[in-house]
Amino acid sequence: MSVSRDDFSIAFRSALLQRGGAQKFSILSLIILAIFIFFLDIYGFVVVKKARGIINDVVFRITYIVSSPLRFIPNASTNLSSHFNLKEENEKLRQVIENYKSLDLNLEYLTNENKNLRKVLDAEKIVNEKSIVLAKVLVDRNSPFLKSIIINKGTQVGIKKGMPVTQDNYLIGRIVETNYLSSRVLLLNDLNSRIPVTLGNDSAQAILTGSGTKNPKLEYLPEDYVFEDEITIFASGKDGIFIPGTPIGKTTLNSGKYDNEIKLFVDPNQLSFVTVNLIRLNKEKF
Amino acid sequence: MAKLNLINKIFNAGPLILLYFLSISEIDTNLEKVFEIFSFNLPIIIIYFWILKRPSVLGTGHIFFAGLINDVVMGYPLGISSLSYLIVCFFSNYVRNKSVNTTIASDWFTFFIALIFANLLFFSLLNNFSDVVISYTKIGYNTFFTLFLFPILWLIFSFYQANFIGGQDA
Repeated sequence: MSVSRDDFSIAFRSALLQRGGAQKFSILSLIILAIFIFFLDIYGFVVVKKARGIINDVVFRITYIVSSPLRFIPNASTNLSSHFNLKEENEKLRQVIENYKSLDLNLEYLTNENKNLRKVLDAEKIVNEKSIVLAKVLVDRNSPFLKSIIINKGTQVGIKKGMPVTQDNYLIGRIVETNYLSSRVLLLNDLNSRIPVTLGNDSAQAILTGSGTKNPKLEYLPEDYVFEDEITIFASGKDGIFIPGTPIGKTTLNSGKYDNEIKLFVDPNQLSFVTVNLIRLNKEKF
Repeated sequence: MAKLNLINKIFNAGPLILLYFLSISEIDTNLEKVFEIFSFNLPIIIIYFWILKRPSVLGTGHIFFAGLINDVVMGYPLGISSLSYLIVCFFSNYVRNKSVNTTIASDWFTFFIALIFANLLFFSLLNNFSDVVISYTKIGYNTFFTLFLFPILWLIFSFYQANFIGGQDA
């Protein structure tokens, strides 16, 4: 019995303290270090916050560079699958289609170029407005627990925590973390997101709550409120953060998992450029 | 000969590169687009397997650092993923010290205990010390799929080890 206990304690100690070969540090020392860093970060010392800001900026840039080849793969696979489907459907007309396909590709290319140029023109218009900052999405890693994106603008251009983020004037989320050159945007479908909204002809008030799935849901609707399909939801601005009247999405019935689900105007998984509104509204005083 | 050594080194570094790549890149193991509830924690499987079978390919310092990078990219409090990875690392080390020959079934069982402890620590710290709210259902699904996929990845990694790296450490 005592031998078995000795065995346990030797194996336990060895697992915690063993070093050698690739194991340059013992697990115990690294666990202590990790706990130390965790509490430094949690209790938000100024030096740690600044250091974290710098680390964030560097890591986000590296992530963007490392991930850039991966962005081409989904496009390539989509093109490939559509190509094969076309072949199956039109086996007899393959030759003709091949000729047209080359023309089609040219047309697609020109159309996309046209669209992009239009976007640039719009973007320039937006950038000229002092209160709005156009930002590119650096990282949109899809965590199973948190729904957020990283954008390439930070405190350098005046972005602060809480500022609303939009795409094509539709609300997509708010800033929750700022660094000098980058910021984190909490998306509307994140479990931590709560936004006061208004809907319907009678301007019913509710809270838009992220559910962790693609579509957020409405909570705290007025009693006896009848939830209808295709009603547009707007930010109410009651929190003093979001601009009143910013469109968010439409109510949808039969969407599946939850009642009172909202279909967002902007797909949170398809963001590439967003705008940050630098205006900070004051809370309404009654 | 020198070329062969270089190739061996690259193969040896494979798991470490994969671990860093998963931590730093946009690629993730959250496959919600494929199946709404499907997500799993590949870094934990990598760490557990390679510390158990071939600790020389994954240094604990690297595991700690990969955890820190993961925290930065995901937006978790710094050190929390490192802590979770190191707990898995500890369990794996302990099992390696206590056992001579392991099978896929015994590894699967011990991995289950390591995973439960690592996730328990991760989510209880997040719940008690941070403002981040997390869905418990998602945690459950994530744990389940990580456990469920362990044998498949065990076989893949064993194949990789047998064909590209070589036998177990002394």
